[in-house]
Amino acid sequence: MTTVGDRLPSAAYVMDTTRIVAGALASRDFMPVHHDKAYAIDHGSPDVFMNIMSTNGYCSRYLTDWAGPDAMLRSLSIRLGVPVYPGTTLRFEGEITAVDQQPGEQVVEVSFTASTEHGDHATGSASLSILADS
Amino acid sequence: MTEETIPRASLDAMIGRPMGPAEGSTAPDPVNLPMIRHWVAAFDDHNPVYLDEQAAAESRHGSVVAPPAMLQTWVMATPSLEGIRDRGGAPRASDDSPLKIFDDAGFGGSLAVNSELTFERYLRLGETLTSSSEVESISEQKQTRLGLGYFITWVSTYRVGDEVVGRQRFRMLKFRPEAAP
Repeated sequence: MTTVGDRLPSAAYVMDTTRIVAGALASRDFMPVHHDKAYAIDHGSPDVFMNIMSTNGYCSRYLTDWAGPDAMLRSLSIRLGVPVYPGTTLRFEGEITAVDQQPGEQVVEVSFTASTEHGDHATGSASLSILADS
Repeated sequence: MTEETIPRASLDAMIGRPMGPAEGSTAPDPVNLPMIRHWVAAFDDHNPVYLDEQAAAESRHGSVVAPPAMLQTWVMATPSLEGIRDRGGAPRASDDSPLKIFDDAGFGGSLAVNSELTFERYLRLGETLTSSSEVESISEQKQTRLGLGYFITWVSTYRVGDEVVGRQRFRMLKFRPEAAP
Protein backbone atom coordinates (compact mmCIF):
# COMPACT_ATOMS: atom_id res chain seq x y z
CA MET A 1 0.00 0.00 0.00
CA THR A 2 1.30 3.37 -0.99
CA THR A 3 0.73 6.14 1.55
CA VAL A 4 1.43 9.85 1.66
CA GLY A 5 4.55 10.46 3.75
CA ASP A 6 6.16 7.13 2.86
CA ARG A 7 9.79 7.47 1.93
CA LEU A 8 11.27 5.82 -1.14
CA PRO A 9 14.38 3.71 -0.60
CA SER A 10 17.39 5.98 -1.02
CA ALA A 11 19.93 5.26 -3.74
CA ALA A 12 23.55 6.26 -4.31
CA TYR A 13 25.20 6.23 -7.72
CA VAL A 14 28.99 6.62 -7.74
CA MET A 15 29.99 8.89 -10.61
CA ASP A 16 33.21 8.65 -12.54
CA THR A 17 34.27 9.98 -15.93
CA THR A 18 33.21 6.76 -17.65
CA ARG A 19 29.63 7.04 -16.40
CA ILE A 20 29.35 10.72 -17.28
CA VAL A 21 30.72 10.14 -20.80
CA ALA A 22 28.60 7.01 -21.30
CA GLY A 23 25.47 8.95 -20.33
CA ALA A 24 26.28 11.85 -22.64
CA LEU A 25 26.89 9.59 -25.63
CA ALA A 26 23.94 7.27 -24.95
CA SER A 27 21.75 10.37 -25.02
CA ARG A 28 23.47 11.55 -28.25
CA ASP A 29 24.87 14.68 -26.61
CA PHE A 30 28.34 15.39 -28.03
CA MET A 31 28.96 18.72 -26.25
CA PRO A 32 32.69 18.57 -25.40
CA VAL A 33 32.09 19.76 -21.80
CA HIS A 34 30.51 16.36 -21.14
CA HIS A 35 33.46 14.24 -22.36
CA ASP A 36 36.63 16.33 -22.80
CA LYS A 37 38.25 17.39 -19.53
CA ALA A 38 40.77 19.77 -21.14
CA TYR A 39 37.97 21.52 -23.02
CA ALA A 40 35.85 21.71 -19.86
CA ILE A 41 38.72 23.29 -17.90
CA ASP A 42 39.30 25.78 -20.73
CA HIS A 43 35.65 26.77 -20.34
CA GLY A 44 35.78 27.40 -16.60
CA SER A 45 34.69 24.03 -15.25
CA PRO A 46 36.94 21.95 -12.95
CA ASP A 47 36.16 18.77 -14.91
CA VAL A 48 33.63 17.24 -17.30
CA PHE A 49 30.10 17.31 -15.90
CA MET A 50 26.87 15.40 -16.40
CA ASN A 51 24.42 16.48 -19.11
CA ILE A 52 20.75 17.14 -18.37
CA MET A 53 19.43 14.16 -20.31
CA SER A 54 21.55 11.95 -18.04
CA THR A 55 20.10 13.67 -14.98
CA ASN A 56 16.62 12.81 -16.27
CA GLY A 57 17.83 9.29 -17.02
CA TYR A 58 19.01 8.75 -13.44
CA CYS A 59 15.83 10.32 -12.01
CA SER A 60 13.72 7.99 -14.15
CA ARG A 61 15.79 4.99 -13.08
CA TYR A 62 15.52 5.93 -9.39
CA LEU A 63 11.75 6.24 -9.61
CA THR A 64 11.02 3.07 -11.57
CA ASP A 65 13.57 0.98 -9.64
CA TRP A 66 11.18 1.68 -6.76
CA ALA A 67 7.84 1.61 -8.60
CA GLY A 68 8.56 -1.47 -10.73
CA PRO A 69 8.09 -2.49 -14.36
CA ASP A 70 4.31 -2.01 -14.25
CA ALA A 71 4.64 1.66 -13.38
CA MET A 72 4.46 4.45 -15.92
CA LEU A 73 6.20 7.74 -15.45
CA ARG A 74 3.68 10.49 -16.27
CA SER A 75 5.78 13.56 -15.49
CA LEU A 76 9.24 14.45 -14.29
CA SER A 77 10.05 18.04 -13.27
CA ILE A 78 13.44 19.09 -11.99
CA ARG A 79 15.14 22.26 -10.88
CA LEU A 80 18.85 22.09 -11.57
CA GLY A 81 21.50 22.99 -9.02
CA VAL A 82 25.20 22.14 -8.76
CA PRO A 83 26.79 20.10 -11.57
CA VAL A 84 27.74 16.43 -11.17
CA TYR A 85 31.50 15.89 -11.56
CA PRO A 86 33.51 12.66 -11.63
CA GLY A 87 34.52 11.50 -8.17
CA THR A 88 31.20 12.38 -6.55
CA THR A 89 28.26 10.25 -5.47
CA LEU A 90 24.76 11.17 -6.62
CA ARG A 91 22.37 10.37 -3.75
CA PHE A 92 18.62 10.18 -4.23
CA GLU A 93 15.98 10.63 -1.55
CA GLY A 94 12.26 10.68 -2.21
CA GLU A 95 8.92 10.90 -0.46
CA ILE A 96 5.32 10.33 -1.52
CA THR A 97 3.39 13.59 -1.41
CA ALA A 98 0.03 12.54 -2.87
CA VAL A 99 -1.85 9.40 -3.87
CA ASP A 100 -4.88 9.61 -6.14
CA GLN A 101 -6.94 6.42 -6.41
CA GLN A 102 -8.29 6.03 -9.94
CA PRO A 103 -10.15 3.08 -11.45
CA GLY A 104 -7.47 0.41 -11.96
CA GLU A 105 -4.54 2.60 -11.00
CA GLN A 106 -3.02 4.86 -8.40
CA VAL A 107 -1.45 8.12 -9.49
CA VAL A 108 1.40 8.73 -7.06
CA GLU A 109 3.22 12.05 -6.68
CA VAL A 110 6.79 11.89 -5.46
CA SER A 111 9.04 14.70 -4.30
CA PHE A 112 12.75 13.93 -4.55
CA THR A 113 16.26 15.34 -4.35
CA ALA A 114 19.45 14.20 -6.04
CA SER A 115 22.52 15.61 -4.32
CA THR A 116 26.28 15.25 -4.33
CA GLU A 117 28.98 16.25 -1.87
CA HIS A 118 28.70 19.75 -3.41
CA GLY A 119 24.97 20.25 -2.78
CA ASP A 120 21.67 19.62 -4.51
CA HIS A 121 22.09 18.68 -8.16
CA ALA A 122 18.38 18.31 -8.91
CA THR A 123 15.28 18.80 -6.81
CA GLY A 124 11.97 17.90 -8.26
CA SER A 125 8.73 16.03 -8.43
CA ALA A 126 7.31 13.23 -10.49
CA SER A 127 3.99 11.60 -11.13
CA LEU A 128 3.72 7.85 -11.68
CA SER A 129 0.82 5.60 -12.56
CA ILE A 130 0.94 2.35 -10.62
CA LEU A 131 -1.54 -0.42 -11.40
CA ALA A 132 -4.01 -1.00 -8.56
CA ASP A 133 -3.37 -4.74 -8.30
CA SER A 134 0.42 -4.61 -8.64
CA MET B 1 14.18 46.81 -10.91
CA THR B 2 16.82 47.39 -13.54
CA GLU B 3 16.31 48.96 -16.92
CA GLU B 4 15.98 46.40 -19.71
CA THR B 5 19.11 46.09 -21.82
CA ILE B 6 17.22 44.44 -24.68
CA PRO B 7 14.07 46.32 -25.78
CA ARG B 8 10.96 44.55 -24.49
CA ALA B 9 9.40 44.69 -27.95
CA SER B 10 12.29 42.60 -29.34
CA LEU B 11 11.78 40.03 -26.60
CA ASP B 12 8.00 39.96 -27.00
CA ALA B 13 8.48 39.39 -30.72
CA MET B 14 10.24 36.10 -29.90
CA ILE B 15 7.25 34.57 -28.09
CA GLY B 16 5.85 31.74 -30.17
CA ARG B 17 8.88 31.66 -32.45
CA PRO B 18 10.52 28.30 -33.06
CA MET B 19 13.57 27.26 -31.05
CA GLY B 20 15.71 25.31 -33.46
CA PRO B 21 14.70 24.56 -37.05
CA ALA B 22 11.40 26.15 -38.12
CA GLU B 23 10.31 22.86 -39.69
CA GLY B 24 11.01 21.02 -36.40
CA SER B 25 13.17 17.94 -36.01
CA THR B 26 12.64 14.36 -37.12
CA ALA B 27 14.39 11.48 -35.40
CA PRO B 28 17.14 10.15 -37.70
CA ASP B 29 16.11 6.59 -36.73
CA PRO B 30 12.92 5.02 -35.45
CA VAL B 31 12.81 3.89 -31.83
CA ASN B 32 15.16 0.92 -31.79
CA LEU B 33 16.74 -1.67 -29.51
CA PRO B 34 20.42 -0.76 -30.10
CA MET B 35 19.94 2.80 -28.81
CA ILE B 36 17.84 1.54 -25.90
CA ARG B 37 20.57 -0.98 -25.05
CA HIS B 38 23.19 1.80 -24.94
CA TRP B 39 20.91 3.82 -22.64
CA VAL B 40 20.19 0.92 -20.31
CA ALA B 41 23.93 0.20 -20.01
CA ALA B 42 24.88 3.85 -19.48
CA PHE B 43 22.42 4.36 -16.61
CA ASP B 44 22.36 0.78 -15.29
CA ASP B 45 18.58 1.00 -15.63
CA HIS B 46 17.54 -2.63 -15.74
CA ASN B 47 13.79 -2.18 -15.89
CA PRO B 48 13.02 -5.33 -17.97
CA VAL B 49 10.32 -3.66 -20.11
CA TYR B 50 13.05 -1.79 -22.03
CA LEU B 51 14.79 -4.87 -23.50
CA ASP B 52 13.12 -8.12 -22.46
CA GLU B 53 10.25 -8.98 -24.85
CA GLN B 54 8.73 -11.57 -22.58
CA ALA B 55 8.84 -9.41 -19.45
CA ALA B 56 7.40 -6.52 -21.44
CA ALA B 57 4.61 -8.75 -22.82
CA GLU B 58 3.65 -9.73 -19.28
CA SER B 59 3.62 -6.09 -18.12
CA ARG B 60 0.98 -3.38 -18.64
CA HIS B 61 3.01 -2.23 -21.65
CA GLY B 62 2.40 -5.40 -23.67
CA SER B 63 5.61 -5.03 -25.67
CA VAL B 64 9.04 -3.47 -25.37
CA VAL B 65 8.90 0.29 -24.69
CA ALA B 66 11.63 2.93 -24.70
CA PRO B 67 12.79 4.53 -21.44
CA PRO B 68 10.63 7.66 -21.14
CA ALA B 69 13.59 9.95 -20.41
CA MET B 70 14.97 9.09 -23.89
CA LEU B 71 12.35 11.40 -25.45
CA GLN B 72 14.77 14.16 -26.42
CA THR B 73 17.53 11.71 -27.34
CA TRP B 74 15.58 10.30 -30.30
CA VAL B 75 15.49 13.66 -32.08
CA MET B 76 19.03 14.84 -31.24
CA ALA B 77 20.79 15.97 -34.41
CA THR B 78 23.53 13.65 -35.63
CA PRO B 79 26.63 15.75 -34.96
CA SER B 80 29.34 16.82 -37.32
CA LEU B 81 32.39 16.31 -35.10
CA GLU B 82 34.56 18.43 -37.40
CA GLY B 83 34.63 21.87 -35.78
CA ILE B 84 32.29 20.98 -32.93
CA ARG B 85 34.65 22.55 -30.37
CA ASP B 86 34.64 25.85 -32.25
CA ARG B 87 30.84 25.77 -32.31
CA GLY B 88 30.72 25.40 -28.51
CA GLY B 89 29.39 21.89 -28.90
CA ALA B 90 26.49 22.65 -31.23
CA PRO B 91 26.00 19.50 -33.33
CA ARG B 92 25.64 21.44 -36.59
CA ALA B 93 26.61 24.87 -37.89
CA SER B 94 23.65 27.20 -37.46
CA ASP B 95 23.39 30.89 -36.77
CA ASP B 96 19.65 31.41 -36.50
CA SER B 97 19.21 30.47 -32.84
CA PRO B 98 16.74 32.77 -31.08
CA LEU B 99 19.26 32.91 -28.24
CA LYS B 100 21.64 34.90 -30.46
CA ILE B 101 19.92 38.16 -29.45
CA PHE B 102 21.16 37.52 -25.89
CA ASP B 103 24.69 36.58 -26.95
CA ASP B 104 24.88 39.71 -29.11
CA ALA B 105 23.81 41.88 -26.16
CA GLY B 106 26.56 40.45 -23.95
CA PHE B 107 24.45 37.82 -22.18
CA GLY B 108 26.74 35.03 -23.32
CA GLY B 109 26.49 32.85 -20.22
CA SER B 110 24.01 29.98 -20.24
CA LEU B 111 22.64 28.04 -17.28
CA ALA B 112 19.89 25.43 -17.48
CA VAL B 113 17.41 26.03 -14.67
CA ASN B 114 14.35 23.79 -15.08
CA SER B 115 13.21 20.80 -17.10
CA GLU B 116 9.59 19.64 -16.95
CA LEU B 117 8.81 16.48 -18.90
CA THR B 118 5.33 15.04 -19.38
CA PHE B 119 4.68 11.69 -21.00
CA GLU B 120 1.34 10.88 -22.62
CA ARG B 121 2.55 7.36 -23.32
CA TYR B 122 5.74 5.38 -23.78
CA LEU B 123 7.23 4.85 -27.25
CA ARG B 124 7.37 1.50 -29.01
CA LEU B 125 9.94 0.00 -31.34
CA GLY B 126 9.64 1.26 -34.92
CA GLU B 127 7.93 4.56 -34.11
CA THR B 128 9.47 7.69 -35.60
CA LEU B 129 9.42 10.74 -33.35
CA THR B 130 9.21 14.36 -34.47
CA SER B 131 9.52 17.46 -32.34
CA SER B 132 8.89 21.16 -32.58
CA SER B 133 9.84 23.79 -30.02
CA GLU B 134 8.66 27.31 -29.42
CA VAL B 135 9.51 30.14 -27.07
CA GLU B 136 6.86 30.39 -24.34
CA SER B 137 8.04 33.30 -22.22
CA ILE B 138 10.95 35.61 -21.48
CA SER B 139 11.32 37.17 -18.04
CA GLU B 140 12.10 40.73 -17.13
CA GLN B 141 15.80 41.41 -16.85
CA LYS B 142 16.86 40.16 -13.43
CA GLN B 143 19.84 40.44 -11.15
CA THR B 144 20.99 36.88 -10.37
CA ARG B 145 23.92 35.61 -8.36
CA LEU B 146 25.74 35.03 -11.67
CA GLY B 147 25.01 38.46 -13.08
CA LEU B 148 22.26 40.30 -14.93
CA GLY B 149 20.19 38.00 -17.04
CA TYR B 150 16.98 36.82 -18.61
CA PHE B 151 15.08 33.57 -18.05
CA ILE B 152 13.91 32.06 -21.34
CA THR B 153 11.30 29.30 -21.34
CA TRP B 154 10.48 27.13 -24.31
CA VAL B 155 8.26 24.11 -24.86
CA SER B 156 9.08 21.16 -27.09
CA THR B 157 6.21 19.00 -28.30
CA TYR B 158 6.96 15.44 -29.33
CA ARG B 159 4.73 13.60 -31.78
CA VAL B 160 4.35 10.26 -33.53
CA GLY B 161 2.45 11.23 -36.66
CA ASP B 162 -0.18 13.69 -35.41
CA GLU B 163 -0.35 12.19 -31.92
CA VAL B 164 1.30 14.16 -29.12
CA VAL B 165 3.27 11.66 -27.01
CA GLY B 166 5.18 14.01 -24.72
CA ARG B 167 6.27 17.54 -23.94
CA GLN B 168 9.24 19.23 -22.35
CA ARG B 169 9.27 22.71 -20.88
CA PHE B 170 12.80 23.99 -20.48
CA ARG B 171 14.01 27.14 -18.76
CA MET B 172 17.43 28.66 -19.24
CA LEU B 173 19.14 31.69 -17.75
CA LYS B 174 21.13 33.76 -20.24
CA PHE B 175 23.39 36.00 -18.18
CA ARG B 176 26.14 38.58 -18.48
CA PRO B 177 29.00 37.13 -16.43
CA GLU B 178 30.14 39.54 -13.73
CA ALA B 179 33.83 40.31 -13.49
CA ALA B 180 35.47 38.48 -10.62
CA PRO B 181 35.77 40.78 -7.56
